[in-house]
Amino acid sequence: MRDVAIVGVGSTQFGRAQWSLLKMMCEASHDAIVDAGIGERKIDAVYVANMGAPRNNRQAGLASALVDRLNLFPTAAAEVIENGPASGASAIKHGLHSVASGLCDLVLVCGGERMQEVNNFEATEFVSFLSHRYAEYVYGVTLPSLAGMFTRLYMDRHGVRPEHLAMVAIKNHANGALNPKAHLRIPVTMEGILTGPEALNNNPWVAEPLRFFDCCPVSDGASAVLLAPAALAKEFKKTPVLIAGVGQATDTHAVHERPDPTELTAVRLAAEKAFAMAKLTPKDIQVAELHDAFTILEIAESEEAGFFKKGEGHKALERGETRIGGRLPINPSGGLKSRGHPVGNTGVSQVVELTLQLRGEAGDYQVPNQPKHGFAVNFGGFGNNVVATVLKRGV
Amino acid sequence: MARNVEAAKCKNCGKLSYPTHFYCPSCRGTKFEPVPIQGEGTLLTWTRVYALPLDYADLFITLGIVELDMGVRATGRLTIAEPRTGARVRATIGKVREINGKDVTGLVFTAA
Repeated sequence: MRDVAIVGVGSTQFGRAQWSLLKMMCEASHDAIVDAGIGERKIDAVYVANMGAPRNNRQAGLASALVDRLNLFPTAAAEVIENGPASGASAIKHGLHSVASGLCDLVLVCGGERMQEVNNFEATEFVSFLSHRYAEYVYGVTLPSLAGMFTRLYMDRHGVRPEHLAMVAIKNHANGALNPKAHLRIPVTMEGILTGPEALNNNPWVAEPLRFFDCCPVSDGASAVLLAPAALAKEFKKTPVLIAGVGQATDTHAVHERPDPTELTAVRLAAEKAFAMAKLTPKDIQVAELHDAFTILEIAESEEAGFFKKGEGHKALERGETRIGGRLPINPSGGLKSRGHPVGNTGVSQVVELTLQLRGEAGDYQVPNQPKHGFAVNFGGFGNNVVATVLKRGV
Repeated sequence: MARNVEAAKCKNCGKLSYPTHFYCPSCRGTKFEPVPIQGEGTLLTWTRVYALPLDYADLFITLGIVELDMGVRATGRLTIAEPRTGARVRATIGKVREINGKDVTGLVFTAA
């Protein structure tokens, strides 16, 4: 198997799209192509990560449509990867396999989602299709409601308080305010969202004990990466970043069926596999992008991935260890909470953000001391399909 | 007429599962006997949901995960005004949603 490098990255502005889903994806792909400087080289395969286009945007066969719009004929492969909110990292994993195996030399992976083409009820509804059809969905279960039940149990067991949840939001909004591509570039304060006189009007319940600022926004956005064999990486313009490890794991569909519903077993197993493949440990990581679709998930994932002991994640957060400049900055891009969560795209955007960090190109939200290793968790369903990725700066 | 919600008891090893699986999670058996979900249980966790999907006219709904004395957990609606973790509840069957104009019945947990 060949080592595989990320040789180009690109991304649109996140938030409310001005253009069609396909045009956003073209923009992100073009950014990555220019970033890499591919010259006359042919793109051998295109993998698209998306979850909702056939329902929300009346567009199926998105990979074929993207090949057409970008005139990439006749690519060897063009496929859509749908793995719910983990589609992005899954698509990158497929790109990795096709380059590592020697089947392809230059592969474009593009994640795109345009959720604001439908209203918020429709968006909540289509994401809730991820739940178990007859044991969860029929009861009105949505992703926020699964997260609410998880949060209550987690708070009871581990001493996490509403202040800790708010600290995740405050940190990630502060980071996102520095990221020009983020969806919500609005710093928030503890007074504003939890303790001040107007706080609870600003921050109403969504699914108790989760409030509005505990949940990611509904975002549009597209991101792209170009993959090539590490041996060819020096032919491109930028410092290569190697995909050192990818791990994936699954868990029961109905959350209630897990032996301990506060354990995110698939996160733990996916991270273990990714670290084993990379021959690295959590101690080697200097920057992480975790899947904070709900504030509690950043805390829980930071423990399951091995950065902190179970029940210690919120204490590390409280001590400031996960801020930019802390021992392990988590979500310097703003995370899903502030950068945004175009569901099918998110895993690609996490890898784009880590690549910028490892190259030293993250501008105002750059993690100091030239990080060499980055880590991402892309969390599908409510933890029933998780992909973890370890990146390593080349050269 | 309200329909029972059923767990599956493996005819090979006796393992009770809910929801059902094609293979038994314990022994890979493929033959099951339906067992209605009923009786009392303990509330493991719950949430009041205000951001509702389509099909709901309510201001909020209350959902919970219950550990039933019969040996499985289940997710369902709660009709308890002030739920608390650890409360004793009873499984009943009632309307839980309307999909395409048709009533869907399922588990509704009331105070025991």
